[in-house]
Amino acid sequence: MLRPKGTARRNRYDNSAYFYLLPALLLLAVFIVYPIMNTLITSFKGEYRFLTGDFEGYSWQNYVEIIKDPIFRRAILNTLFIAFVCIPASMAIALFLSLILNSIQKWQGFFMTLFYLPQVTNVIAAGIVFAFMFNTNFGVINMILGWFGIDPVAWISGQGIASSPKLYHQAYARSLFIVFVYTVWQGISLKIILFLSGLQNINKQYYQAAKVDGTSTWRMIRKITLPLLSPTTLYVFITSVITAFKAYAQVVALFGNQYGPAGDDSKMMITIVGYMMDSMGDYLSPGSISKASSAAMILVVMVMIVTAVQIKISKKWVHYN
Amino acid sequence: MKPQSMSNLFRYFLLSLSAAIILVPFYWMINTSLKTNAEILRIPPTLFPSEFRFQNFADAIVKAPILTYLLNTVVVALSVVAISTVVSVLAAFAFARLNFRGKQILFIVILGTMMVPQEMLIITNFMTIADLGWMNTWQALIAPYCINAFNIYLLRQTFKQVPDELYLASKVDGVSNFRFLRKIMLPLSKSTIVTVMILSVIWIWDTYAWPSLVTTKDSMRLVSNGLQNAFTNDSGRIQYEIQMAASTLVILPLVFLFLMLKKYIISGMVKGGIKG
Repeated sequence: MLRPKGTARRNRYDNSAYFYLLPALLLLAVFIVYPIMNTLITSFKGEYRFLTGDFEGYSWQNYVEIIKDPIFRRAILNTLFIAFVCIPASMAIALFLSLILNSIQKWQGFFMTLFYLPQVTNVIAAGIVFAFMFNTNFGVINMILGWFGIDPVAWISGQGIASSPKLYHQAYARSLFIVFVYTVWQGISLKIILFLSGLQNINKQYYQAAKVDGTSTWRMIRKITLPLLSPTTLYVFITSVITAFKAYAQVVALFGNQYGPAGDDSKMMITIVGYMMDSMGDYLSPGSISKASSAAMILVVMVMIVTAVQIKISKKWVHYN
Repeated sequence: MKPQSMSNLFRYFLLSLSAAIILVPFYWMINTSLKTNAEILRIPPTLFPSEFRFQNFADAIVKAPILTYLLNTVVVALSVVAISTVVSVLAAFAFARLNFRGKQILFIVILGTMMVPQEMLIITNFMTIADLGWMNTWQALIAPYCINAFNIYLLRQTFKQVPDELYLASKVDGVSNFRFLRKIMLPLSKSTIVTVMILSVIWIWDTYAWPSLVTTKDSMRLVSNGLQNAFTNDSGRIQYEIQMAASTLVILPLVFLFLMLKKYIISGMVKGGIKG
């Protein structure tokens, strides 16, 4: 592979390679490989105390406990909402905008730049801005609704939800909507860039041939563009879903450290990573590292299963040349 | 839904409308950051500040040490960029050019770590940092970010495109591997290296969970961690105009960086970059 066949040095190993690799391997071992193994092991330790390292045997106890925890179930539900409602919606919007962008001649770069801006922000700063946009009295959302004669909505409010399941569900629906809007906004830039580059890689000759045959645009999109774009679509879907499973900071930015609107004490909007961080506690008040580890392992396994299923299903709809 | 059959004008209208919606948060942030406290409380809110109050930015800097956070973030970002680029370039060179025992398996391990959600590593890394006594130190903020499998992969792909002939010719001339890397590989791969560096900056700017774990002191916090809950007044009301001014201070530097280096960032994203 490296040298032309038949040269004398073909099979010689270059030991200097290890010097080049040393820093990377060292960091990899300490900060990636060891943590993966340690998290796996820790997730099975019972009554683990991280300061002393004491624990009482290995068991599934931590897993059983968190799966029984209603807050963890809520975390899974919220995470699945982000992965399988927000992501497909933002992909559809991004694909639609990319198709239009790809069909115009002038100003393409200009619009690309604008569409890219959400990507180069900061998850917390932008989340705080969104929370303020949804403010009942001073927010832009209610102001715009007001133009259409709609009364102000108390978007981020948990008033009375502790005693009324109906109010709770309404507050939950509003919170999901806010997360939806923020997640779509946040993720759209990268998807547009990837879709557009996928579209530009499609050989123009297909379209020319179809045009000669008098094929309609809609048919061309369905029969040529979407099939040829499908590897890009799969890539975007898989990477976005993985990112969605790690959702955490955006929820903290929108709802604060209690993962819910003011007045909510059920951690309404918590995610899996949020649950992990909560279980872990912090340096000054450490929580259960082993519980956090089992939450992390469940996350990893879910990501692996979902990715494998996506790849499996993709064989039916992805076309490779 | 038929772009080709839509009139051109309608296409531009749709794009402009979408762009406008995407820009609303930026507009609302800057608009609010320039209002006076009295104007903030007006219902319905005003679309344009009746007078500009730039003092909000000064207030934000005084109220929460935003400048410290920004400076810390810049220090961490630059350190990570410097160290991780050197580490990645060296490793990528070995994978792209050198022949050594265990090459295949090591490369697969590195690719494999790209599949692991970074978030699961936090737990053990936090214990490692605490054990080392590195809480509230620069090392803690920098070290875990210095290894980036994606960067190694991207650089290796780029290095592989440098023709074998160049390497063989330089070997004949007795040029050392390191000299070859420095004098030939690096200049030829400049654009990928710049891309890798910028992606690291964007990554650090956006990072939240890790720095919030390993820092407990204000003086060591990064931008994401310092923003929350820092802008309530004595009666517990959030001072939105100052909060928005602070958010503006955090977001604008990255937007400017992007506008200056657009070309590299977009090419990096296309090559398969995804944040986090």
